[in-house]
Amino acid sequence: MLYVSQMQNQQVWDAWGQPIGRCADVLVGAVDQNFPPVKALLLRGDTHANGDRFIPAVCVSSLYPSITLNVPQDKCPPYTPAGDELRLLDRVLDRQIVDTEGRRVVRVNDLQLARVGNQYCLTGVDVGGRGLLRRLGMEGLAQALARLLGRSWQTGIIPWEDVAPLHQEDPLRLRVSHDRIVQLPPADLAAILNDLDHHTSAALMETFNNETLADALEESPAEVQVAVLSHLEPERAADILEEMDPDEAADLLADLPEQTSAHLLTLMEDEDAAEVRALLIYPEDSAGGIMTTEFAHAPIGLRAEELLDYLRQSEDARDDEVMYYIYLVDENHRLRGVISLRDLVMAAPDADLTQYIDLDPVTVDPYTPQQDVAYLVAKYDLLAVPVVDPESSILLGIVTVDDAVDTVLPTAWKKRLPRFF
Amino acid sequence: MKRIQRMPGWLQRILFYLSILGPGLITASADNDAPGIATYSMAGSTYGYRFLWLIVIITVGELIVQEMAARMGAVTGKGTADLIRERFGVRVTAFAMLCLLLGNLGTTIAQFAGVAAGTELLGVSRYITVPLAALLVGFLVLRGSYKRVEKVLLVLCLAALSYVITAFAVRPPWGEVLRQAVTPSFSSDTSYILAALATIGTTITPWGIVYMQASVADKGMELERYRFTRLDVMFGAAWGNVVSAFIVISTAATLFVHGIRVETAEQAALALAPLAGESARYLFTTGLLGASLLAASVLPLSTAYAICEAFGWERGLDQRSREAPIFYGLYVGIIVLSVFVVLIPGIPLFPIMWLSQSLNAILLPVLLVLVLKLVNSRRVMGDWVNSRFQNVLAWGLTGLIALVTLVLLASPLLN
Repeated sequence: MLYVSQMQNQQVWDAWGQPIGRCADVLVGAVDQNFPPVKALLLRGDTHANGDRFIPAVCVSSLYPSITLNVPQDKCPPYTPAGDELRLLDRVLDRQIVDTEGRRVVRVNDLQLARVGNQYCLTGVDVGGRGLLRRLGMEGLAQALARLLGRSWQTGIIPWEDVAPLHQEDPLRLRVSHDRIVQLPPADLAAILNDLDHHTSAALMETFNNETLADALEESPAEVQVAVLSHLEPERAADILEEMDPDEAADLLADLPEQTSAHLLTLMEDEDAAEVRALLIYPEDSAGGIMTTEFAHAPIGLRAEELLDYLRQSEDARDDEVMYYIYLVDENHRLRGVISLRDLVMAAPDADLTQYIDLDPVTVDPYTPQQDVAYLVAKYDLLAVPVVDPESSILLGIVTVDDAVDTVLPTAWKKRLPRFF
Repeated sequence: MKRIQRMPGWLQRILFYLSILGPGLITASADNDAPGIATYSMAGSTYGYRFLWLIVIITVGELIVQEMAARMGAVTGKGTADLIRERFGVRVTAFAMLCLLLGNLGTTIAQFAGVAAGTELLGVSRYITVPLAALLVGFLVLRGSYKRVEKVLLVLCLAALSYVITAFAVRPPWGEVLRQAVTPSFSSDTSYILAALATIGTTITPWGIVYMQASVADKGMELERYRFTRLDVMFGAAWGNVVSAFIVISTAATLFVHGIRVETAEQAALALAPLAGESARYLFTTGLLGASLLAASVLPLSTAYAICEAFGWERGLDQRSREAPIFYGLYVGIIVLSVFVVLIPGIPLFPIMWLSQSLNAILLPVLLVLVLKLVNSRRVMGDWVNSRFQNVLAWGLTGLIALVTLVLLASPLLN
């Protein structure tokens, strides 16, 4: 196997055995392919007279054990970079990249090349300890030691197709890698953005569409959310807030300076802004602060089939992300009963639903502490609790189980430490 | 937590300043940690006011160095180790990280030695207090109530202020003090050079650079706000060194004049006797413990983080230990090793505290040279590279430390 670290600074010989300079970089093209071909070498002259120049790959006869050309030096045509090449030593080696298979940020210890047909291609990225030892010149020693101990030694090589390089200077190539990155689950995406430095993650997020960014932000710690949003244009920030769940958007707005959040609220669409405003009234650690206002509800008294039809037409039901229960309300939007989605689906189309409806469901009021909500959820094995105004019994929203248990699980301490540690 | 609420403008402004005043204050307080207090006490009691001129130079040096670290953090958003790896490759990084690890291990040992010395002064055996302190530090950091405790420890660090009061109370010859502060004095004596190196190494530290850059990068601030950070850094460094100078002055005025050369914590505490009388040892222990625990919380963590960052290993307290074995291994390893060293029977605590700082100074130029190359690279820093003035001072400082180290190596031959 050939690694770029073995080529770094190596003497380059022409067809007549003349030393013509040292290899300063390796350029590959078509980086969105699985095996990007080597396009050229950057040659650094030994003297000032012949400075840096590119050697096209067609002139290279071999890269290892020594780099030799198949033509004499003066017959080698000049190579003009097309602009889409990736400089491996300068831009990839020692930098951080995203391992889209392992869903994490890794550091490139080495890059693996292989001969495919008559050209060299980039095949993989070495992120393991073996690459590190190779760079330190201790690979052979460590290998001998491993053999002595009778241990097989895993290489930490990730295929090129599973990584996404990050270059903030280069929007063109970012697009390629970003296609691979946006398909990750939002929680992993958030973890990756959190692992990267601010500038790189900001550059990466620039390329996301509003929905992807909103999903990733919902999974991010508060500081990251604030940092991201304050870097965006206000109009885009407002669009992203609209995409987010109202309760998450409210939390985020509460963390922003008052002027900024007020401005963003005016930029949001009226309907979304109203929902968020309603949530902002309540303390962040109360039922009102963590509830979502997007949930499935329907008028009471419908038959099973009618109810299902109603839900299919309902805008609110469409916005409900989980829909464990359907909340039945009267004409004044007062909560009258709850039916689980399971019972509704299992019921005969024309069945009277009364027998399935829980007419006295467990409810909380918007100022119930989050701890108590979590307790109720656990005690009654609920997937969501309706939040009801204690005086008018109007249904305000629901708290889903994931939001309720957030405080109980020991994840909250993370936020108190600097991200760097 | 905060919702949209009516907060008066002045309160917001104060909160804003407080949120920025942070890394500077912590590194400054850590200047006067156990090894710091030990070094300055030793220097003041052994050489009188002769080290004051060095402290003046070091103050300028620390301002320059910490400002560079903060600027790199603000501009790049990356950690020191990250930048070193991207710019210089694996070999240089491995060497730099080894130096960082050695220096920080020495300093962590010194922190726990400080805990041992401080509590033994109160008559409690180090075999009880040092493991307790290690557990406390580990618990605080891993269970995450660290942020709150940090404030308590910072308050304890205020005990170092008692040196300032003592210095005024004992009425040192101020004319002499000022004269020594501006007159360089040299000696090729080995112990003098070691003491000089310790004074440098306890103030300008490798971990201080790494910690400063990480905290600033972590805030992800806009560069327009960088001037506030610079203010914090300048304020912190200056403040820490004013306290350091007063430790030297008060030990010189109380101990040096009576020919007491501090070799134990007991003697060092005597410097506070004119102020606190019989309770001097309590005051001394308070300051020692506060600063030691603060530094012992930050040091192993920032070391483990920097090393894992450089080599791309999983890191951070939001990872579980199985996901980041090297990170947690380093963190626990540094603490455990430090505790074991301090618990070796008969090991002299006070010399450990200050000699570890000489080691720190000897290792410092490695990091300084790399930082200087980075901070002068336009590819890394854009328009925020060092000015010529900053470069002259920073390279001067690096050269000075290297020179003193060379003199140390040559001193057996010279004498």
